Amino acid sequence: MTWSWISTNGSLIWQLTWENIKLGVLPALYGLVISLPLGVIASRWRWFYPPVLTVINVLYAVPSLALFIALIPAFGLTDTTVIIALTVFSLCVILPNVVAGLRGVPAAVTQAATAMGYGPLRRLVTVELPLAVPVILAGLRVGVVASISLASVGQLIGVSSLGYLFIDGLQRSFPTEIYVGLVLVIALALVCDLILVAVKRALTPWAARPERQRQRRLRQLTEVAP
Amino acid sequence: MDIPGGGLITFEAVTKRYPDGTVAVDGLDLEVPAGKTMVLVGPSGCGKTTTLRMINRLVEPTQGTILLDGTDIKERNPAHLRRGIGYVIQQTGLFPHRTVEDNIATVPVLNGWPRKKARGRADELLTLVGLDPALAKRYPHQLSGGQQQRVGVARALAADPPVLLMDEPFSAVDPVVRASLQEQLLSLQAELRKTIVLVTHDIEEAIKVGDLVALFRPHGKIAQLAPPEELLAAPVDDYVADFVGFDRGIRRLSFVSTTGLNLDTSPLLPAESTVADALANGRPWICVTDAKRPVGWVDTATLGALPGDTPLRQVRAEPIGHSFTAGTDSLRAALDAAVLSPAGLAVAVDGDGSMLGVATFEQLRAAIQRGAAQAADNGHGKQARQVQHAQEDPLP
Repeated sequence: MTWSWISTNGSLIWQLTWENIKLGVLPALYGLVISLPLGVIASRWRWFYPPVLTVINVLYAVPSLALFIALIPAFGLTDTTVIIALTVFSLCVILPNVVAGLRGVPAAVTQAATAMGYGPLRRLVTVELPLAVPVILAGLRVGVVASISLASVGQLIGVSSLGYLFIDGLQRSFPTEIYVGLVLVIALALVCDLILVAVKRALTPWAARPERQRQRRLRQLTEVAP
Repeated sequence: MDIPGGGLITFEAVTKRYPDGTVAVDGLDLEVPAGKTMVLVGPSGCGKTTTLRMINRLVEPTQGTILLDGTDIKERNPAHLRRGIGYVIQQTGLFPHRTVEDNIATVPVLNGWPRKKARGRADELLTLVGLDPALAKRYPHQLSGGQQQRVGVARALAADPPVLLMDEPFSAVDPVVRASLQEQLLSLQAELRKTIVLVTHDIEEAIKVGDLVALFRPHGKIAQLAPPEELLAAPVDDYVADFVGFDRGIRRLSFVSTTGLNLDTSPLLPAESTVADALANGRPWICVTDAKRPVGWVDTATLGALPGDTPLRQVRAEPIGHSFTAGTDSLRAALDAAVLSPAGLAVAVDGDGSMLGVATFEQLRAAIQRGAAQAADNGHGKQARQVQHAQEDPLP
């Protein structure tokens, strides 16, 4: 370790970290925004979900680099290419959780809501989605962490992120750079994950401990390893 | 309290056929009078829940018309219709993500009340259903099953709807809690006079809470529609008799008053009396009283060995078990008291617990016969109509 390298390259490290945050967080958020309506449709019309799930699984199997390359003709060597590709991957992990979360709302609760005079939209927004929040956020956590780590690969098509430190360190045989990159990627992922845990706690003060355990089990069943 | 705006529900030739061909409800004609509790009871798959859910349009009938206060419910906007109909279900269906008060405030908020006013109403309702208003800020999972069910009832009543639909509301709680919830419903109903339609598979519950009981056959036909005492006294056929149960004769006595029961005061002696007084009384069992309260039974056969001047207070007495309150308790309670008494005599007290006398089996039997004659007179008109209905509908 050459500790002095860190202090002399502070602004570079900071800039790359910021790029990496952007490339990690934005795709997960876009993935969430796209997953919500798709998930609502899939939980309403059950026939819709199996074909969508097949497409998603195929997309998820595509190596990230291959997807970047496939997008280059349309979007060039830009942030956009990386963000689109990572959005697709986040979608793949978030959508199943949106569907599972909505389907996990007890039938008695939705029936009671209808019987009390909720219209379908109001019921969705004020009853079903809030109750699906724990499971949806569990998906979002996986999506964010996966995007933060996959963002490095974007460096291969010249879109800067902490991945720069890996490639540069390798080319110059300078391990310090690689270690710094690795530590920062892991730290970023951890921080984002903790923030989302805090968000979940804040949004679901009602979740009982047994409920949390139930959702943990559900999450294990629906999570796709990154 | 006067009867609030209506709540008369009328089924006219209503049929519900599911897409797989199952007929859940078959040509049902039924009128639920405003302000009364109608219990729909029957085995699983008899269409009672489907019937209930057609009232708030959770299920749409295949044929026929359902009227609420004379208006076809099909002409009403479903969401608006439902806000005027309380709904309570077995699994409570409380919103896990809302506090107790926000759960109760649901329909007022849907109706556009400011949240603060709606929460104030929620506090009133917590008291009404017998819960501590301190529970208002809890979440449903922090309550017991019985408390959750009470919150469910409070939520259904929040907007003061004229109609309350209850689908097996007390089936998921233990028997003790169930009994207290049933009592609560009866006292609420005495005050509120809602039109209640309650579905249950428990004939005991039907008999306890119903003003009218509609006993369904499988596949959505009514076997008998009658007040509970009439259902017990005069089942129209074997199906009804079987469903009502083998001890319907005893249970029917719940509806016969102990007013006018002849009471015998001769075996009563105050605690100050002596063994000699007891032996002189000539009765095999003496009921000892102290300051007019029944203390216990003394078997005179055991008194021979004691000195004649021993006060009865000092003699070991058998416990009374339980007494019945004459005029308030039913003949069923009086008979039960007689069966459990070592003397075979039921101890009657007044509302303050003061001894009135005892009733023998013969006196109880005479009262039962008088009661049966009265019930037959009262129920005859309604019963005749049901017999006719049942004849169109042979046993399956």
